[in-house]
Amino acid sequence: MLARDWRGGELGILIAALVLAVAVVTGISAFTTRLQVALEQESHRFLAADLVLRGGRELPARWRAQAEESGLAFASTLSFPSMVFAGDEDMILASIKAVSEAYPLRGELTYSDEPFGPVLPATTGPGPGTVWLDSRLFALLDVAVGERVTIGEADFEVVAAARTEPDQSAGFYSLGPRVLMNYADIPATGVVQPGSRVEYRQLYAGAPDTLAGFRAWVEPQLASGQRLLDVNQGQPGIGRALERAEQFLLLAGSLAVVLAGVAIALAARRFSERHTDYVAIMKSLGAASGAINRLYGSSLMLLGALATLLGCAAGWALQALFFALFADQLPVMPGPAGIRPYAIGFATAFACLLCFAWPPLRRLGQASPLRVLRRDMPSENRRTLGDYLAGFVAVAGLMWWYSGDWKLTLALLLGLFITAVLGLGLALTLLRGGRLVGMSAGSIWRLALAGLQRRGTANALQVVIFAMAIMLLLVLVLVRTSLIREWQAQLPSDAPNHFMLNIAPEEVQDVEQMLRANAVPSEALYPMIRGRVMSVNGEELPSHEETDTERHQRGANFTWSDGIPVGNQLVAGQWWLPGTEADVVSLEEEFAQRLGVTVGDRIGLLIGAAPLEVTVTSVRKLDWQSFRPNFFMVFPPQVLKDFPATFMTSFHLDAAEKPFLNQFIRRFPTVTVVEMDVVVEQVRGIIDQVSAAVELVLAVILAAGSLVLVAGVRASVDTRMHESSVLRALGARRSLILGGLAIEFASMGLFAGILATVAAEFSVYVLQAWVLDMRYAPSPWLWPIGIGLGTVLICALGVYSCRGVVSSPPVAVLREL
Amino acid sequence: MIRAEDLQKRVPMAGRELEILKGINLEIKSGETVAIVGASGSGKSTLLGLLAGLDEASSGSVVIGETDLAALDEDGRAAFRAENVGFVFQSFQLLPALTALENVMLPLELKGQQDARQQAEHFLARVELGQRMDHYPRQLSGGEQQRVAIARAFASRPEILFADEPTGNLDSRTGDHIIELLFQLNQEHGTTLVLVTHDLKLADRCQRCLQLDGGELVA
Repeated sequence: MLARDWRGGELGILIAALVLAVAVVTGISAFTTRLQVALEQESHRFLAADLVLRGGRELPARWRAQAEESGLAFASTLSFPSMVFAGDEDMILASIKAVSEAYPLRGELTYSDEPFGPVLPATTGPGPGTVWLDSRLFALLDVAVGERVTIGEADFEVVAAARTEPDQSAGFYSLGPRVLMNYADIPATGVVQPGSRVEYRQLYAGAPDTLAGFRAWVEPQLASGQRLLDVNQGQPGIGRALERAEQFLLLAGSLAVVLAGVAIALAARRFSERHTDYVAIMKSLGAASGAINRLYGSSLMLLGALATLLGCAAGWALQALFFALFADQLPVMPGPAGIRPYAIGFATAFACLLCFAWPPLRRLGQASPLRVLRRDMPSENRRTLGDYLAGFVAVAGLMWWYSGDWKLTLALLLGLFITAVLGLGLALTLLRGGRLVGMSAGSIWRLALAGLQRRGTANALQVVIFAMAIMLLLVLVLVRTSLIREWQAQLPSDAPNHFMLNIAPEEVQDVEQMLRANAVPSEALYPMIRGRVMSVNGEELPSHEETDTERHQRGANFTWSDGIPVGNQLVAGQWWLPGTEADVVSLEEEFAQRLGVTVGDRIGLLIGAAPLEVTVTSVRKLDWQSFRPNFFMVFPPQVLKDFPATFMTSFHLDAAEKPFLNQFIRRFPTVTVVEMDVVVEQVRGIIDQVSAAVELVLAVILAAGSLVLVAGVRASVDTRMHESSVLRALGARRSLILGGLAIEFASMGLFAGILATVAAEFSVYVLQAWVLDMRYAPSPWLWPIGIGLGTVLICALGVYSCRGVVSSPPVAVLREL
Repeated sequence: MIRAEDLQKRVPMAGRELEILKGINLEIKSGETVAIVGASGSGKSTLLGLLAGLDEASSGSVVIGETDLAALDEDGRAAFRAENVGFVFQSFQLLPALTALENVMLPLELKGQQDARQQAEHFLARVELGQRMDHYPRQLSGGEQQRVAIARAFASRPEILFADEPTGNLDSRTGDHIIELLFQLNQEHGTTLVLVTHDLKLADRCQRCLQLDGGELVA
C-alpha cells in the first residue's frame, strides 16, 4: 500500500514532514551538543586549563601525582610581586609569573620579538634562565632584547616581550607589569619564602569523565585558602553568557519539536482525508475496520522507521554543514555528538506519529463504505478533544524531555495556550458573526469576506496554527535579539580596554591633558583609596584565616562620588544629596551579601591606621564585565577628603595606537597601565561565536516554521482549488479569483500575526523573567513586524499554493479533484 | 452558432503523445439540441470541454458566434463563459460550503447581476426545490443536487448550455425527470444545448446526434 501511495504522491507530504521534523530535531540537538562542547573548550582558555586549583601556599604534590596517574595533563604556575632590576639604577615592582613547560594546557600564549611588535604564538613559556618582559617594562627598565635583568638573586636574559596569556584576566588585580619566567628558576631567585604573598596554581586538563572523577576526589581535601576553579568560577560573565546561550539553543530545539508536531498533524490529516474514499472502497470490498487499522498502523510504523532513518541522516548532514560553515569561527572542532540526538530524533518521530498522525488515520477505519455510492458523505475525520489532548501532552512531554527545563516548557505552553484561546475567541466573533448570503462573487472584497466566514471554523483553526508558528518564531527572534543586545552592550566596540592606576593627585591634570591631546577616549578619573572592612554593627569580623565563610575582614578599593557612578544601578536605599557630610557609604550588591549587611547597617573601616565608621545607605548593582572602573564601596567626597588617594581610569586604545603607551609611560613612570585589550578581545570573540550559533539555529527554526506555514496552507488548498475552479468554469476572471484568495489569506495572516504578537510578548515576558534571568522590556517594533510578516507570508504562500487554479484550464483542475 | 474546424487535442502520455481528437469539423446552429455519443474514451468529454472553452485545443479552432475561442486568453474565455455559457456536470460540481441558493446565485454574482438572489430563488422554485434553498449539497439527494446544477446553469440565461453526462450519476427514474426538466427549460429559454451522453433515451430527445469513435466523428 505504501508503495502505491508513494506513486500516487500523497505519501510524499507526510514523509517530508516527518523527515524534516526528525532532521531538524536531530540536527539541532547534535549541533547544540557539539557546540556546547566547543564553546566550553573555548571558555577553558580563560583558565588555561579545564580545572584549576589555587592556593596561597604550595599545593600538595599528591594531587598532581593522582591526576597524572589517571591520565590528566598537568601544569603549574606561581604568581608573586617582586622588584625587577636592570643595570645599577633602574628597578620596578613587577608582577612575576613562573610557568612550567606544559603551560598553557588550554588557549594560546603569545609573545613578540620586540616591545609592542607583531604578536606570535608560543608553544611553551620562557626556557630556564630567560624571561619575557611586558612591552612597557622595556621602556621603564631601559633594556632591550638580549640584555639582562635581575629578580631576587638570579640574573635572566630578556628574550622576548610577553604579550598575552590565556588566563591573563585572572591576574587583573595583580598590578604591575608582567614578567614571565620558567617555573624551574624559582629556587634560584630566593624570593619566595614562607609567608610571601604568592599564588600557586595547579592546572589540569583531560577527558570530562576523568576530570569529574579527579574533581570528586580532590574537592573534599581542599583546605582553607585553597580553591577549585572551573569555567563558571573563572569567568562568571562568560559562564552566564554560555548558560543563556545553552538555554536559547534548548528553547530553539523545543520549538522545533512543536513546529514538527504541528506540521505532521496537518500532513496526516490531509493524508487521511484523501484516503477516505480509498478506505470506503476497501470496506465495500469486505475489509473490516480492524484490518484497516492494522494496515494503516503497520504502514505508519514502516513510515516512521523510514522517516527516522532518512531524518537522522539529514540531521547529521545538517549539523555537519553547520560546522563546515562555522569552522573558521571555532577554536576547536568538537568530536561527534554521540547517540542522544539520534535517540531524540527517533523518539520525536514515533511520538509525533502516535500523537499527531495516528488519531486521524485511526478514524479512517470508521469511514463509511457508503462513500463508494455517495462521495459527498461527510468523512468521519473530525478532530476530537482527545486528539488535541494527545497532541498537547506529546508536545509538552517532548519539550520537557528535550530541554530538561520545566519553566521553559511551561512558558512556551502558556504562549501556545493563549494563542489557541484567543484564536477560538476570534472564530466565534469575527469569522462567524453575521454570515453573508451567497458567495458574493461580484467583488473581490466581498468574495474574500464571504470565503472567510463560510469556512469560519476551519479558518479559525488555520489561523491558530499560523499564529502558533509565527509566535514561536517571534519568541525566538525576540529572545535572540535581547540576548545578543545584552551581550554586545557589555562590550561595545569602544569599550575601555586599558586601565591606568596609581595616578598621583598632582598628576591628574597632566594625565587628562595628555589623553585629550592624543584623542584617547577615557572614563572619568576616579579617586582610589585602599582600606579594610573590620567590623559590622560594632561586631569585629574574623580574619580570613579564622573562618571558612565569606564574612571576614577584607581589603577593598574605596572611591568617592557625588553622583551614582556610570553603569551602576541602585537596588536598595537612596543616593545621598550632593555635598553631604554624613558618614555614609554605598555598597556593591554581592559585596554587601558577602558581609551580610544591608541598608541601615554600620560598618567599621580602617584606612591606613585611621578608623572610620559609616552607615550603609544604598546598595548598587554593577556589571563587572564592563571593563569600567568599578568599586565595592563609594563614599561622599567629604567623608574621604582627608585620606591620601591616588586616581584611576580606564580608556580605549586601538592596536595601532599602542605606541602611545611608550610615550605615556616615559612621561609618567609611576603610573601603572594595565593592558586588558587581549582579554576584551577574547570575551568579544566568545560572544561573537555564541551570537553566530544563535543566528544559525534561528535560521533552521525559521525553515521549520515555514514548513508549518506551508503545511497549514496546503491543508486547505483542495477545498479552495475546487471552489476556485468551479468559479473559473462559471466565468470568474483570474484577477477576481487570485484577488479573493489573496485577501482571504492576507486576512488570516493578519489575524494570525496579531494573535502571535500578543502571545509572543507574553511568552517572552515569562521566559525572560523566569528562565533567562533577564529584564523584560516590551518590544513595540515587534507589532508591525509580527503582523506584517503574518499578513505577507500567509498571503504569498496561500496564493502561491493555489496558483494552479488560474494557470491550468479549469477542466484539468475539475478532473483532478 | 458553434463551428469547430480541424479540432485536435493531443496529450503527452508515458513519454509519447496520445491523440484524443483527430481533426473534428462540426457546426451547431443556434437553438439546436445536439447529443455527442460514443464509447468510453472516444473523446466526448474532451470535445465538450473544447467547445465550451474550458480547455485549449492543440490545433484547430472553435468559433462561437463571432468569437474565436483560440484567440482569447484564459481570462477572455472566462469572461465569455460568464456571459454566454452554462454548464451541467456529471458530478454536479456544486460547492459543498454553499447552500443550494448560494450555488445558484454564483454565476449571477459573477455577471454582476443585482437581483441574483431573486433570480436564483425563481430558478430553484422552477426545479421544484423552493423549499430546500437553504440546504447544503450534502443534505440533498443526487437528483436534487443535479436539479440545483440545472437551476444554476439556466439562472444566468446562457445562450449555450453544455451538459456532460447529466444523468450519468442518477438512477433511471430520476434521470428521466432531469431530462424532462432540462428540455423544458431549454425550450422556454431557446438555449442551444450540447450534451455528452451514453444514454440513448437522452440522445433521442436531441435534434441531432454526433457519434465519436477513436477521436473522430463517424456520424
